[in-house]
Amino acid sequence: MQQHRELSEQQINVQLLNGTLATPRWWKWAVLGLLIIVLAGFSTFGFMINKGLGVTGLNRPVFWGTLITTFVFWVGISHAGIMISAILRLTQAEWRRPVTRAAELLTVFSLITALSFPVIHAGRPWRIIYWILPYDFSRGIWPNVRSPLVWDPAAIGTYLTGSILFLYVALLPDLGNLRDRTVGWRNRLYSLLSLGWRGNSRQWRMQTTAGILLSALMLPIFVSVHSIVSWDFAVTPSVEGWHSTIFAPYFVIGAVHSGVSAVVTMMALMRWLWKWDNFIRPEHFDALARLLIVVGTAWFAFTLIELLYSFYTLEAQELAFRDMQIFQWPWAFLFIVFLITGFFIPVPAWLFKRVRNSIPWMFWTSISVNIGMWLERFLIIVPALSRKQPFVYTWGSYHPSLTEMMMIVWSLAFVGMNMLLFARFFPLIPLFEQKEAQAFSSRIQIGRASVPAVLREQEQE
Amino acid sequence: MASNITAAPDHRPTFQEAAGELVSKVRAGSSASRLWLMIAAALALVGLVGVIGRIIDGYSDRSAWGYYAAMVSFLLSTAAAAPMVSIAPTLARASWVRPVTRVSQLFASVGVVTALMHIPLMFALPPLVEEGVRRRSIWFGAGAYTPHVWGTIAIFGLTFLGLALLWASSIPDLRAIAESGEGRRQRWAARLAMGFIGTDTQWKALRMRIGVLGSFYFLFLIFTHLVFSADFAMALVAGWKDAIFPMYHAMTGLQSGLASTIIAAYFIRRYGHLERYIELDQFWAMSKLLFATSLLWFYFFFSAFIVFWYGRSGPDQATNDLLVSGPFRWAFFATFLMSFVIPLFTLMFNPVRHSIRGPVIVSFIILGGMLLDRIRIYVAAWSTTGINDRYLREIPATRWPDIFDLMVILGTFGAAALAFILATRLIPAVSLWEIQYSRLLTRPARFIRGHALIIGKPD
Amino acid sequence: MAIKSILGLYESPDAGANALDGLHAAGIEPHQTEVLTGTPYPEGAFGEHVPQHRLFRFPAFGAMFGFTLALLYTAGTQLAWPLVTGGKPILAVPAMLIILYEFTMLNAVIFTVVGIIFESRLPDFFSKKAYDRRISEGLIGIAVACDEQKVSEVEAVLKRAGALEIKTA
Repeated sequence: MQQHRELSEQQINVQLLNGTLATPRWWKWAVLGLLIIVLAGFSTFGFMINKGLGVTGLNRPVFWGTLITTFVFWVGISHAGIMISAILRLTQAEWRRPVTRAAELLTVFSLITALSFPVIHAGRPWRIIYWILPYDFSRGIWPNVRSPLVWDPAAIGTYLTGSILFLYVALLPDLGNLRDRTVGWRNRLYSLLSLGWRGNSRQWRMQTTAGILLSALMLPIFVSVHSIVSWDFAVTPSVEGWHSTIFAPYFVIGAVHSGVSAVVTMMALMRWLWKWDNFIRPEHFDALARLLIVVGTAWFAFTLIELLYSFYTLEAQELAFRDMQIFQWPWAFLFIVFLITGFFIPVPAWLFKRVRNSIPWMFWTSISVNIGMWLERFLIIVPALSRKQPFVYTWGSYHPSLTEMMMIVWSLAFVGMNMLLFARFFPLIPLFEQKEAQAFSSRIQIGRASVPAVLREQEQE
Repeated sequence: MASNITAAPDHRPTFQEAAGELVSKVRAGSSASRLWLMIAAALALVGLVGVIGRIIDGYSDRSAWGYYAAMVSFLLSTAAAAPMVSIAPTLARASWVRPVTRVSQLFASVGVVTALMHIPLMFALPPLVEEGVRRRSIWFGAGAYTPHVWGTIAIFGLTFLGLALLWASSIPDLRAIAESGEGRRQRWAARLAMGFIGTDTQWKALRMRIGVLGSFYFLFLIFTHLVFSADFAMALVAGWKDAIFPMYHAMTGLQSGLASTIIAAYFIRRYGHLERYIELDQFWAMSKLLFATSLLWFYFFFSAFIVFWYGRSGPDQATNDLLVSGPFRWAFFATFLMSFVIPLFTLMFNPVRHSIRGPVIVSFIILGGMLLDRIRIYVAAWSTTGINDRYLREIPATRWPDIFDLMVILGTFGAAALAFILATRLIPAVSLWEIQYSRLLTRPARFIRGHALIIGKPD
Repeated sequence: MAIKSILGLYESPDAGANALDGLHAAGIEPHQTEVLTGTPYPEGAFGEHVPQHRLFRFPAFGAMFGFTLALLYTAGTQLAWPLVTGGKPILAVPAMLIILYEFTMLNAVIFTVVGIIFESRLPDFFSKKAYDRRISEGLIGIAVACDEQKVSEVEAVLKRAGALEIKTA
């Protein structure tokens, strides 16, 4: 499995800082292109504030559309970071090393993007402050902590803060390294950010302990975030198809499916753009694909159980809703695309080693998963709302407007642009993790076979 | 970098020492195991009397079978889940698990008890259609006895798969026993070893068989929990619609399966004097998993609870009344403490996790919690009436165990222990070949001045 | 008497470990020495002094602080404006639990990060300790803090162990 050649620490520095200490030619054009889309998105947002939510396709009874779908989608993607970084760190999976930082970064930017969507969706974004902060001491009006709409910012705020801190702590040694390789204002910036890192035993020990401790703390937060997002829907008894106890783990496993797939997409891009063939290797794609087979299959099982129990009561409204969601145009078409792209194309494909080890195949199948996962959220939210409900007394339909579609495109460009900007100033692959991987890798001889091995510290008796 | 690594002295038992010691344990048994065997047999006998009493008592009062159903579920959630402790880490190529794989797989022998106990319970389950009215079930319009058939297939299938996995993974050890002398046990072992002599092809086939059977066992375990929890609990309660419940059932089963393995590993280590094979590392690794599954206990419980509590519709409120705040609230709160609060506030401390007694004591507490959890669910479910109503209109009173129930509870523990101990009389409780394989793949080493272990990860 | 920081640079970890042995043999206390590396080596790999820490207290304290804060926020705000919504009690414990949980975890994480930085003895902008940028390129640095009088003795020990270069600050 070890398909890489051993490099000196100096070579690792040179290769992994190729996009940080120098500007690749394509970088400016990519950032410029994305910046144009991002600015167009901000303009669209300004237009929405100016004209009101009437420019969206939202109307009675469908008050949640693609903006909320995209919010849930990006919260899902944000599960990449901790899944890869924390779980794989705790289980000491060696192949995590080149992926952790990019995955954590994806978490941070996708959470920031996710958080923007309820703000955009609110129409009058400043009013959100009334809902979540205990600000109005004079009039005695306080947030309603019984509302899931207050739980959401609490959970996502915690996850975002934790993820940023986690990212920063694990960046310290590399900031020290960057300080050593730069001059001028960049040197001053890295000196400040690295806090005077020298790489002594105490600091390294703290790094190791912090990795484990923060992983253990972030994991329960990671699970809670999408669970709480799912309860936005599940605690509502009046909307058919939402009031289900399985929603919390179902959303979490779905988020992991889409998040890890997004990491695969990103890894392929990193390998192609920065030419990190020696660090991001087919074996890493292979390991991620194996993980995704398990996660994808578990997610599919949850989908089936969710459907099974929606039919279980044989209540007429629930059956009518499912009939509409699965068999009636246009939902039926979207439902088929969702299943095919979310499960039936990627998961069976990953069963073949040739696909798992092929970077173009992994790239496209991982994108397929996220098309399916976006549609899954759309199919949970919109068809259910378009039916007559006890509190809306009307039927309706929904067509996303151009402004809403623009915001979806904006979100993709926003995350991409931020990733590229980050990569220009900080290494996307942790340098010290690569060095540690080399220091800890070994081989053992069994008869005539040489078996790859890893080194684990042992306490002295 | 590899030049920083040098060999260190290896104090682990050699191949020959391990083979001699582990095989001789099977042959000789120990005085402690004989004593435990007698106690278990006596308890199993008490249980048998309880079962007969329950059957003679009849099937007219369904609520009388609640404790019995809870015990079948308890076995499904402990012994049947225990082999997963070996399956999942083996598939993930974890090296720490090798000394305890056999301990967890030996629990498959208890499947025989579960399957036998299931037979009388099957007759207590009402058909899907009674007096022309079809009740709610996951089988929708299927035949009246579909749950009975699938429940039986699931439990017997799981038992068969468990025993097949135990046998498949024991073949090299059975060969070692067969070669250890003359006698009835050796002849049986030779037969079961099926001509295994350790050729390259046989080893490859063995590993593949273990992988395939392990994967199937996992899938079948989930299926069995889905079927059993749906048919023998949820479908009996009007209006209880809870899509997460099968997963809660399976997940809490994994927690208790882990607890069972820890307890069994402790007794085998202590009374079998196998301290050189089952070490602190195994308890440490298992206690981390036990901690994680204890957190998941709360997560899966709360995922359902918050939806019912917040929804506040008739069926929502009735479900929470029945299972949480109603007649079995004492059992719920005890479960909450024993399955979540105590494990959380003990296992969060590394000195507890990094010990042998700590995880064992917590495991006993978790098993107590599991017993009460299954009582609160199954006894409550079997006590309800109005199976065809839209939701539960009347919350039943607390049903306390009668003498037959108490005998069945004691007997279940006895019979399970009996099956387990008997299995250890034929198959080594620590897998000899896994120990040897582990010895091949791991080497103590020095890293400059520090101590380390090199772990081989073959492709 | 002024304390000097002396740094010996070594090409191999073994040479670094030998230098540390030499320093200890020369009567330099373990707490006066530091091993500087660009890679996290296993604890005790150089036979160095393994520092103790109290990091685990930080998340515990943070969790307690966060829980208290969240209790004030959830219970306080609801009691201050007792409006029944959705038929739920004013102090709706299951709903409050979610906010309590998030605040508890948030503060546990924040305090842990503070703890990590504090226990790493960072920030360290102004102390004049010897350092070399080649450490993050793979050289092993053995740093010693000692009295001015001992500088030459320490330098001799570091040199004997094969130091590529010796720097003093």
